[in-house]
Amino acid sequence: MARLFIFAIGGTGSRVLKSLAMLLAAGIKPNSQYEFEIVPIIIDPHKSNEDLKRTERLLGNYQSISNETGLDNGFFSTKITTLNNLVSSENRLSGSFTFNLQQVANTKFKDYIDFNQLDKPNKSLADILFSGKSINKRGEKVDLLDTEMDIGFVGNPNIGSVVLNQFKDSEEFKEFASNFNKDDRIFIISSIFGGTGAAGFPTILKNIRDAMRNLSIDGKGFLQDSKIGAITVLPYFNVEKDEDSPIQKSDFIAKTKSALYYYKDNVTGNNSVNCLYYIADDYSGKPYRNDPGDNGQQNNAHFVELASALAVIDFLELSDDNLQSARGKALNPIYKEFAIKNESTDIKFSDFEDVTERKLGLRLSQFLLFKKYLDEHLSISFEREPWSVRPPELNQQFFDDTFYRTYLSEFLTSFREWLEEMSDNKRGFSPYNLDSGLETLIKDRKAKSGFWSGKVDYKMYDDRLNKFSKDKSYRSAQQKLINLFFETTQDILTSKFGLK
Amino acid sequence: MRDFFASLYEWFGLSPFYSTDLGEHLRGYDITCSDYTGTPWYVYIGWIMIGLTIFFYILQYYIINSPGFNKRVHWWLTALVIILLNFFIAFILPWNEWQAGDFCKQLRITLADCLGFAASNAIWSFILFLLITSFNIPRRWAGHNTTDTTFWKPKS
Repeated sequence: MARLFIFAIGGTGSRVLKSLAMLLAAGIKPNSQYEFEIVPIIIDPHKSNEDLKRTERLLGNYQSISNETGLDNGFFSTKITTLNNLVSSENRLSGSFTFNLQQVANTKFKDYIDFNQLDKPNKSLADILFSGKSINKRGEKVDLLDTEMDIGFVGNPNIGSVVLNQFKDSEEFKEFASNFNKDDRIFIISSIFGGTGAAGFPTILKNIRDAMRNLSIDGKGFLQDSKIGAITVLPYFNVEKDEDSPIQKSDFIAKTKSALYYYKDNVTGNNSVNCLYYIADDYSGKPYRNDPGDNGQQNNAHFVELASALAVIDFLELSDDNLQSARGKALNPIYKEFAIKNESTDIKFSDFEDVTERKLGLRLSQFLLFKKYLDEHLSISFEREPWSVRPPELNQQFFDDTFYRTYLSEFLTSFREWLEEMSDNKRGFSPYNLDSGLETLIKDRKAKSGFWSGKVDYKMYDDRLNKFSKDKSYRSAQQKLINLFFETTQDILTSKFGLK
Repeated sequence: MRDFFASLYEWFGLSPFYSTDLGEHLRGYDITCSDYTGTPWYVYIGWIMIGLTIFFYILQYYIINSPGFNKRVHWWLTALVIILLNFFIAFILPWNEWQAGDFCKQLRITLADCLGFAASNAIWSFILFLLITSFNIPRRWAGHNTTDTTFWKPKS
């Protein structure tokens, strides 16, 4: 199976990765002749970033679920694995999805570059390159050189580009390079208007394309001409005004412009990327709390992150012919944007172009219907309805077990939170009436119900579960739960809601 | 067939629920007390009992076939209807004849005999319903909501 290595850089990288995990869990797959295994590598010095922690936990749960159920059940049908899982056991790194940035925790930037050891001219040069102010993790204003990097680069790509350059010498990069095969692909997710993403994207891209010059790694040939896609997320959210914060909305556009100017020569101008996706939203909606990183930086999920995750799916749908490279240069670079059909502040499925609606509508709704049943009706039906008592039995013991109680419940709770957060955000994505009954669950879609066709309710849901579980054999109770609910929700949504 | 149902209702010769005189009448002992040419009630009521039980089995397991009617409490509800109907039919038919005097006068039939026979019929209908719903084979062909419904599961 070919692999897609995803480098998710900074807070936006983690949040887009989270959206991608939700899409894959819901069973959304690229329309491609190849199956891809996803290998996420999160790059963020800000280890206490709540978005990073949430994404890591989510990916861990996804991995545990798909390991137990297999990949042929609709939901969770794309394999997600950690880099260390690709490595033989004696050489394994830590089992996390996060790239371990060395010497960043509790380190000031000036110590990282050995500022005090520099001679006078170099000190002066460093003073010029890294002038200005930032804040530390206690929220105090400090000189840029005194920035403590364990809360990230606080919107300073000039620091980020220096620190992230250690990537090429890391064990993770060596493992990645030695496990990279001809059919594998790479995707880089970053934002352009902050610190970590803006610096990380060109740095990582350069290190991959320049792999031939790196003496410490294997598999250089494949890396140099690898199929690389990337999304660069332009400003898409608003932040509260705070005079004392180094993060200012007014800086977003200036930072974006200067980064794009840099990319013009070093990313797009030299054809380093095979397919580059741009995404942005100039809608000035509900502002996020102005948190440079010292308070954990947890932002609500946003529709732009979901659309960015779709770029990953789109990239996997491109044929190999479109992604050819030679001597580290893309032969036919592609540039893409994303748009919706209707200008709406609360996006529903009908606001999408048909292709996006078809990609998202059915599968996301299936996953939500699955979650709703478990929340609202499982306690009434398990050990009572035939689908539950037929072997392998889904009984109290099963629902008390770690698979359900921890992995699946946590994942589905995160899914619901993700939908709620996107719905609360402005611009929002709110295609569902999350707390309504089944018939009115999907906005703009009325369920077909009548005297002959019956109501769309949990009795009908149980009827379909019983129908699909009859005379079926399953490998395990875990596989049964996932497979049965995928088939059933698909049937309900296509027959009763007309989703395709 | 008459002897089969007779031995069934008379509990294979034990006849604990009603007198042998009612048994003779149900076998078809005619009004002139000469031969068994009268209505063979054992056969009629036996087939009605089987037919009704199968009808309610089909009704619950194939036609209603609903998640709202597939728990053990619903099984017991159906069983209760089968028992009551079979009790009523097995009581009312001989009792009407007894009331109308349409039976051999040499036979001594009482109300208790009619009730005893009705109870026998009700018990057999219950046993039949229990049997056809307890074995996997007929239930496997039942509707998808009821293949697992028996007198002991699923819980309500």
